Amino acid sequence: MKIVIHMIATLTIIGVIAGGILSEVNDWASPLIEANQKAETEKAIFLVNPEGKSYEAVANADFEIYKVFDENKNLSGYSLAYEGNGFQGKIRMMIGLKSDLNEITSIEILEQVETPGLGTKVTENPFKDQFKGLQTTPQVNWVKGKSPEQPNEIQTITGATISSKSIVAIINSGLEKARKLQKEGKL
Amino acid sequence: MDLLIIFISATVVNNFVLSYFLGICPFIGVSNKTSSALSMGMATTFVMVLTAIVSWLLYFLILVPYGLEFLQIPSFILVIAALVQFVEMVIKKVSQPLYRALGIFLPLITTNCAILGLALLLSMREYTFMQSVVFGFGAGAGFTLALFIMSGIREELELTDVPKPFRGAPITLITAGLLALAFMGFAGMI
Amino acid sequence: MSKQKSMWYEFYKGIWEINPTFKQILGTCPTLAVTVSVMNGIAMALATTFVLVFSSLFISMVRKLIPNQVRIAAYIVIIAAFVTVADLVMKAKFPELSKALGPFVPLIVVNCIILGRAEAFASKNSPLRSFLDALGNGAGFLLALVVMGGIREIIGSRTFLGYQVMPNGFEPWLIMILPAGAFLTFGLLMGFSNAYLERKKRIEQQQKILQYRKSENELKEAEA
Repeated sequence: MKIVIHMIATLTIIGVIAGGILSEVNDWASPLIEANQKAETEKAIFLVNPEGKSYEAVANADFEIYKVFDENKNLSGYSLAYEGNGFQGKIRMMIGLKSDLNEITSIEILEQVETPGLGTKVTENPFKDQFKGLQTTPQVNWVKGKSPEQPNEIQTITGATISSKSIVAIINSGLEKARKLQKEGKL
Repeated sequence: MDLLIIFISATVVNNFVLSYFLGICPFIGVSNKTSSALSMGMATTFVMVLTAIVSWLLYFLILVPYGLEFLQIPSFILVIAALVQFVEMVIKKVSQPLYRALGIFLPLITTNCAILGLALLLSMREYTFMQSVVFGFGAGAGFTLALFIMSGIREELELTDVPKPFRGAPITLITAGLLALAFMGFAGMI
Repeated sequence: MSKQKSMWYEFYKGIWEINPTFKQILGTCPTLAVTVSVMNGIAMALATTFVLVFSSLFISMVRKLIPNQVRIAAYIVIIAAFVTVADLVMKAKFPELSKALGPFVPLIVVNCIILGRAEAFASKNSPLRSFLDALGNGAGFLLALVVMGGIREIIGSRTFLGYQVMPNGFEPWLIMILPAGAFLTFGLLMGFSNAYLERKKRIEQQQKILQYRKSENELKEAEA
């Protein structure tokens, strides 16, 4: 009986001490972690909308979309964070749009687990630059193995066709959601 | 459809052993016979499904509502250890043959990082309850599949003339590398 | 303990003699998973060493207070607490690294190196010795991860710690940074180090035989 009490007491004491220390460390770390995450989102919002100086989250949206304002506090565009399936897993990206939603300013890949060296080429500039100034009406399209002819077309990467197509698909489904909000007058 | 994607992804595309490197110890340790590989795989799958259920309940019904996410690691590991102990006791009571088949593998499962990895991943990805269960089952099935294929290859390997320094763990790792390469063919299914 | 080994030995042995990765084959999961680049390997090894050193030190200090039956449970709680500290600090101060290592920081808790050293060494030795032993094993783990990460980064992406070391004409072997490359590199490394050690052992044996024969001949000559 004595040994059982000893066992329980030891474990309880260790548990309480560990819990106490952890809650202290957590109190110190959690504001920093939050600040990091906020800074990261902010950086991406302005990266895809370079003219932006301030931003504001759109209320009533069931996904992340931000209004971006220029230095005169005029609406310059929207940045929307959207995700979908890529070749091997989730791709999360930030899409910058002009205020009429008809032109992409720029895109940024936030998270991806694509094949290193092949699928990861979607995060590199030659691919991403294709989206600068891309028209989005009626939607973004891709072409394979030739140069794009229409203003709403991009060329897929050789060896990473599925990853490239996934990016286009994610943009299109994000756009669709944004347009729906626009129609409902919530933007 | 969503559940099917999670299942396929966990089983073959993002196989726990071959692309997340979780559960390498049992993968190398218990993969020399097909029969024991199957038993180990089944025991792990069973514990994985239970872990998915229990850790989902623990994380989303207790830790998150009370803002105790920072206690995630200690509480998960304790719950898993208790769970394995409990399963061992129940199996021993209910079925002796099953206990003889799975019993010796159960204590090994506590320190299998695939189990804790599963619990951490499902809380990180914020899966719903059903998704977590399917994810647990898929991960277990994928683990069993990798272990079973590997044990089949290793049974054949014993008959071949492997250079002496490469016998045992080194050749197993190289074989696993080739297997991982083969599993890459599944990418793109989701 | 029959004979106290020197303090230096307690540290030194972990680096090669009982290297946790190559000799004890412990902690294989992180060794394979995070060694896509040297930087990730170093970060992982430092986080692991932090947990290893503090949990060894702590366990060794309280080793006489913990009843034998619940020692593993107590160790796990202590280790899990230090892992959480490491995880939180990394998330707060090094968000990029913490993202790259993903769930492998929390998974340090099931890294067999830590529980292994706690059970095999810290539970039986003084805090100072446990501290040195943990530091040595951490250094050994760091060495293994740097070697693995170095090989994979140089061949797989032409760089070392982010600096280009291979000429542009060298086409990077993508397989090295894929999961398959991790298994292959580790398997080959282990095989070749076995081969090297065996050869060294054989040469030593042959030298001993030669020496023995020589002394035998000398004896015979003396008799004659």
